[in-house]
Amino acid sequence: MSNFPQFNVLEEAILVEKPEKKEPLGVLFWICVGWIGLNIVGAIFANVLPIENPLFQNYSLVNAGPSLHHLFGTDDLGRDIFSRVVYGSRVSLSVGAGAMLIGFGVGAPLGMLAAFRRGRFDAILTNVMYVLLAFPAIIATIAILSFWTPRTLFKIIVVIGIASVPLVYRVIRTATLSVATKDFIVAAKVQGATDRRILLRELMPNIAPIAISFLLIGVATVIALEGALAFLGLSVNPPTPSWGNMINESRTILQMNPWLVIFPSAALCLFLLCLNFIGDRLRHHFDVTEVKL
Amino acid sequence: MSFDNKKLLAVKDLATTFHTAGGDLPAVGGVSFDMESNQTIGIVGESGSGKTVLSRTIMGLQQRTNVTVTGSVLLSGFEMVGASEDEKRERWGTEVAMIFQDPMTSLNPVMKVGKQIDETLRVRLGMSKADAKARAIELLELVGIPSPQYRYDAYPGQLSGGMRQRVVIAISLACSPKLLLADEPTTGLDVTIQAQILNLLEELKERLEMSVILVTHDLGVVATRTSRIIVMYAGRIVEIGSTREVFAHHRMPYTRALLESSPKVSNASHTRLTTIPGRPPNLLKLTQGCSFAPRCSYATEKCHVDRPELEAADEPGHMFACWNPLPKTRRTVKK
Repeated sequence: MSNFPQFNVLEEAILVEKPEKKEPLGVLFWICVGWIGLNIVGAIFANVLPIENPLFQNYSLVNAGPSLHHLFGTDDLGRDIFSRVVYGSRVSLSVGAGAMLIGFGVGAPLGMLAAFRRGRFDAILTNVMYVLLAFPAIIATIAILSFWTPRTLFKIIVVIGIASVPLVYRVIRTATLSVATKDFIVAAKVQGATDRRILLRELMPNIAPIAISFLLIGVATVIALEGALAFLGLSVNPPTPSWGNMINESRTILQMNPWLVIFPSAALCLFLLCLNFIGDRLRHHFDVTEVKL
Repeated sequence: MSFDNKKLLAVKDLATTFHTAGGDLPAVGGVSFDMESNQTIGIVGESGSGKTVLSRTIMGLQQRTNVTVTGSVLLSGFEMVGASEDEKRERWGTEVAMIFQDPMTSLNPVMKVGKQIDETLRVRLGMSKADAKARAIELLELVGIPSPQYRYDAYPGQLSGGMRQRVVIAISLACSPKLLLADEPTTGLDVTIQAQILNLLEELKERLEMSVILVTHDLGVVATRTSRIIVMYAGRIVEIGSTREVFAHHRMPYTRALLESSPKVSNASHTRLTTIPGRPPNLLKLTQGCSFAPRCSYATEKCHVDRPELEAADEPGHMFACWNPLPKTRRTVKK
């Protein structure tokens, strides 16, 4: 019998020193965080910021280009575009955050439970969700919002949120399934871990990267969906601005006043780009499954 | 054989049947054996012989649906078959623990290895955070991990396969189980690490006064480390006995075939290994006769129609299931 304890000399040589430090997140990451922060602050404090009233119509200055007085120019009714973009972020950000909160709040726990429990519960729930998925989300939201009047921001968030539940459910269930069959789940179980513990401590951290990626794509999709609904007149009533309805309204006068479409689009693009970049960077930073040798 | 309650483990007529679309699949078909404390038993057999299903059934790990388990598994006098999840959970970790085949998948990749040991200590034994950490580092040291205080904060992805299997062993030892089920603990590791892990298991067994069931397809693994061997074929025990007896005086042709198909140092170089002709039977289409009959060179008419039961050989405790057993020679197997 050999000496005890026994280990590979090479293993020891490599691993005796302390684990290495993580690389920093980088400047670009913090710029993105700053930009998202700025957007959120702008949305919350829009009415106390020194900007023009987004509803004030100045008929002597319609379709003007950017100037010192109107940073982003004015629209076809003489309203300040900068101010409307800032106020518009209120609707867009609340729809993005609110709808995803509902979608993940309902879809994620159900998806995890179904994948973990399997059996009849999973079979019934998954089939119900797939039937819902077969029905296009946009048609469903249009149908409900057409009849559920008067439309408020709250109702729009609820309807879009519910429409996103099956999508979230499917992604989370699939992600959980791939983890739930791994040996370490069984290993945790035979060490006496309760189901709740396995769900929260073993499964959740493993599907978090997928969930976060999907969340960020979801926020982007939902903001765009709000824009599409606005185009059909099924979102917040005009003249309340949102990025989506600003882009849609501007289509008719695109050739006359391109600024009107450029700025809200840029705001939307930058916001989503930053969100995705942050998500990507965070995932890379906290990914411990990659072997870095 | 008596099945009194003093035995650490008494398995009787244990059968696990999966209900598949193609019919009922008897993965384990009526297995009985028992083991005392402080013993190491080896379960050997080809792939698909029911070793893993047997060990999982002993643990009480089954799918929720499409499976029937009959018979009895008495673990320190407690009936595991048909016990509720809560009752089993109480015994998992403290009475019986399990080590899995692949250390790459049996650790949570996003949790520090130290935390994974902590978890059990705090939940099961109610230790404080600081105590649990100290104990976890102790356990890491016990399984031979160098500088355990640093490795405590490592993620599984930062450790090699051998180190991971050591961590898996440390986790399973956290609640000092009386019985450790090791399901092919070294299959996923390279040969030099295999020996280390097996030696470690043996050391720990002595030191912590545990019993070990070593499930493997590698006869070399069980040869020196077990006191008894169970040879399985198509979900049934075909030969059981003390390790020395099974190696030296096996009576079942399948055991011989297994022994002959493993490489020996005494063989001349470039010797072709003997293989067992044919393939393990399809468990969905088992015949009335001996499952090994189609591949057995000793098979007679009777073997194909009538299944042999285990019968006693010369040495007490040594049993085999065969109509045409190998002669009782006092020959020794070439090592």
